[in-house]
Amino acid sequence: MTSSPQMATVSPFPSLASAEEGLRLLRAMQLIRAFEEQVRNLSAAGVIPGLVHLCAGQEAVAVGVCSLLRADDMIASNHRGHGHCLAKGGDVGRLLAEIMGRRTGYGLGRGGSLHIFDAANGNLGTTGIVGGGIPLATGAALSAKRQARGQVTAAFFGDGALNQGLLFEVMNMAAIWRLPVLFVCENNGFGEFTAIEDVTAGADPLARGQAFGIPSETVDGMDVLAVRMAAQTAIERAREGNGPSFLVCKTYRYGGHHAGDKQDYKDAEEAKAWRLKDPIERLSRLLKESGLASEAAIAALTQEIDREVRAVVDLAKVTPLPADDDFEAHLYA
Amino acid sequence: MPSPHTITYRAAVLEALFGEMRRDGSVILMGEDIGAAGGVFKQTEGLFAEFGSERVIDTPISESGAFGIAVGAAMTGQRPVFEVMFGDFITLIMDQLVNQAAKINYMSAGQFRVPLVVRTAVGVGGNLGPQHSQSLHAWPVHIPGLKVVMPATPADAKGLMAAAIRDDNPVVFFEDRMLYNLREAVPEGVHVVPIGSATVKREGRDVTIIAVSRMVHTALAAADLLAKEDISAEVVDPRSLVPLDVETLVASVKKTSRAIVVDGGYRQYGITGEIAATVAEHAFDWLDAPVLRIGGANVPIPFSKTLEPLVLPDAQRLARDATALVRGQR
Amino acid sequence: MTTPALDRQTSLSIFERMLLIRHFEETVIRLYSEGRFASHYHIYIGQEATGSAVLEVLGDKDLICTTHRNHGHIIGRGCDPNRAMAEILGRATGFNGGRSGTLHLCDASRGFLSTSAIVGGCPGLATGAAYGIKVKREPHVSVGFFGDGALEEGLVIESFNIAALWKLPVVYVCENNSSGAIGPQQGGYPTATTATDSFTRLPAAYAIHCLQVDGTDMSAVHKAATEAVERCRSGNGPVFIEAFTKRWPGSSPLWPELATVTDLNEAWEPERISGPHADWVRHHDPLLRAARELLTAGYATRDELMARDKTARARMAAAAEYAVASPMPEPASVGDHVFA
Repeated sequence: MTSSPQMATVSPFPSLASAEEGLRLLRAMQLIRAFEEQVRNLSAAGVIPGLVHLCAGQEAVAVGVCSLLRADDMIASNHRGHGHCLAKGGDVGRLLAEIMGRRTGYGLGRGGSLHIFDAANGNLGTTGIVGGGIPLATGAALSAKRQARGQVTAAFFGDGALNQGLLFEVMNMAAIWRLPVLFVCENNGFGEFTAIEDVTAGADPLARGQAFGIPSETVDGMDVLAVRMAAQTAIERAREGNGPSFLVCKTYRYGGHHAGDKQDYKDAEEAKAWRLKDPIERLSRLLKESGLASEAAIAALTQEIDREVRAVVDLAKVTPLPADDDFEAHLYA
Repeated sequence: MPSPHTITYRAAVLEALFGEMRRDGSVILMGEDIGAAGGVFKQTEGLFAEFGSERVIDTPISESGAFGIAVGAAMTGQRPVFEVMFGDFITLIMDQLVNQAAKINYMSAGQFRVPLVVRTAVGVGGNLGPQHSQSLHAWPVHIPGLKVVMPATPADAKGLMAAAIRDDNPVVFFEDRMLYNLREAVPEGVHVVPIGSATVKREGRDVTIIAVSRMVHTALAAADLLAKEDISAEVVDPRSLVPLDVETLVASVKKTSRAIVVDGGYRQYGITGEIAATVAEHAFDWLDAPVLRIGGANVPIPFSKTLEPLVLPDAQRLARDATALVRGQR
Repeated sequence: MTTPALDRQTSLSIFERMLLIRHFEETVIRLYSEGRFASHYHIYIGQEATGSAVLEVLGDKDLICTTHRNHGHIIGRGCDPNRAMAEILGRATGFNGGRSGTLHLCDASRGFLSTSAIVGGCPGLATGAAYGIKVKREPHVSVGFFGDGALEEGLVIESFNIAALWKLPVVYVCENNSSGAIGPQQGGYPTATTATDSFTRLPAAYAIHCLQVDGTDMSAVHKAATEAVERCRSGNGPVFIEAFTKRWPGSSPLWPELATVTDLNEAWEPERISGPHADWVRHHDPLLRAARELLTAGYATRDELMARDKTARARMAAAAEYAVASPMPEPASVGDHVFA
């Protein structure tokens, strides 16, 4: 990447330190977008066992939060977790291999998309149990508090999980024990095929965290810088020993609940409106308009990522499936 | 060799907890009313005073959430002992236990371990009614990835609690609260009983009685009654349900040619079925009669004083059934 | 002393329920001390005004769910004390044939659904009952009585969400007797087990209409219950009532103790109050408070109140006799009702 005299390097944006950081954020979101696109294709081609739940459109939340986390901070994810995995430093190859059920995957190919664990990068796992990761992240926060190294944790979940009693119980405990955990709700307006208004009582989900005195905030989940700003406050709060935070990030998934979902429950006009808020477009525009990055640099970045992901796909297609020995491996420690 | 002292089952488990918590600072306790209150059965007495609220954690009445937190803590360096106040309430933690704790090591291909213990008090008695008397050990034994133990004696209770805490897998530890005041010799100091090892409690020739938990004592009493009938009963206590020490059980049955399995959980689809079938698979050609299964009555455990005693098998009934089996009168 | 807003008939009716509950509970404790039954049991003394005033508002066809602390609701509803006492003693003549005992008393003929001793079970069942009512388009309501501990259970919150969403006719009555079972009580909120500074924040997050009342004030409870039931009947969705009482000191967590027997005279001769619970009796006993209010309002004389007291006492003594004389369940009946 060459820089020209007109390029700024210092960012005018409070939650963006530099041009370089801006490109890093863009890259991270692009990676997720490109990855999900490939996964969608592979799923349609019948190469992926089971279902996949894709997060295109929601990249800003994963990247916004994870870009501020340390390597030894931990996250727990949900069924729509590929973005969280990648944003937290997951290896693209191992991730894809696992989704495709190959032996080189994170779980020896036995877990698939819904059961991705990445201990080296502090990822406590994706899960298909709605809300299931929330207590895990909170338990990790309990550990973090005991170990006193300043670690924090983040639980990612969707609006569907807002109605899980488990969330309520865990928020209460996080509050009474002042645990260093971020509760990050990706509110994309749908729990599977059902609109949030149809299943969620109360004027504002924030009240569910506020009821416990947990600092709670609604965030524009399509704006990675806004997510970072809110996450920054929450992470600092947690690191300083002041307990949990609750962020409700308004976002949108371009795809269905799962790949292949006809999405006839969506309103076409509404979908179009959300596209106009595309987080990658938005950051790109911001970087260009502020002189932090050039059109050419951004285009080059996109191409580079596409190439990288395609290469990973090609490789994954030829990695072996699990062997008979892998059937019972790691049943017990 | 540690010398024994005579203490109660309750005190024996406490010794294990004190010992392990002193040895390993990552061991923490979580449960309801276990802190300053010392537990509803005084089963955690003294621990809060020594280790404080950071390691002996009173949770709200939020079993599901609290246990999920225990799982997350176990994945990240703690070794929680999670108490479920009454065995009946294990239903409330089932999702986290079955879908998370049991499977995480497998799903992550060994990246994350879940070194935790679920400890719960079960057992009919005291007229506590249908929702406070059950022993649901037949639930977790069904789930690959969990270990399940049910010590019948104070010494085994201490040894298996220590083993459970040291084990890097999720272990469910069932204790029968009617055994809490049972006093027997218990080794002092460090005492660990390997998980997955059965023990022959009483040697015999004519029939093998395989029994768990409180039923071990019922079986021993039955054996005394049988001795008066000139029937020599061997009593074997598996101590661990998962993994099951099949070798010891089968060796005994091959010796006696007859087997009875006795358990305090509901008989239907209970652990007696698994053990009986396993024994039959391995020792079919040695058996002189079908394996007999005796379990708790298939009813919600009734409160009333005339009905509650009908739930569990007693020594007399067990001796009668054993006699009929041995004499070929079935 | 507030002027009661209730008319004479209503006041006396509520008082009557309270009196019956009080004597029932004292009789239960006596029977336990005589070894007539085993088990852990939970006493409603101190909370009579809440249960009685709510039950006064309910109609015959309204449905009720309660918890391990159910005696007050059963007796306050007018269920047969004989059969209630018999059930506690595990007799065949009890409401549940001796199968359930103190923890699960219920009388379906008077609208009780199953009584759950699993904390959090009751609000779930009450919500379901309300759903049934709504589906059948009946003008009834469902009431769930539970304690503050239940508000730590996720199930309760899931019930709130659904009840609010579907505008179910359920009244959640949270009897906040304010201290943990046997754990440390910090005083005030938040506590060691709940992070909220007021329980009404929890249902309010689901846009459920909330009321808070002094649970020892029968007029206040009656007023709140009337409003709640009216809202439900007119299809406006669930209501949450938090009724505060000060926990009766005789309630050790598992085995209650009666330090002194209730003496209605103490309502107008407070100098007679003595014993280890004197402070509670003097300031927090809802029964004595109700008696004082009746006298002040001129709704009854001392003699009339004492006459009622005597009758209630005798009624419960008779219930005890009935229960003690009742047969135990036959062993052959142990499998009855496992399946319908």
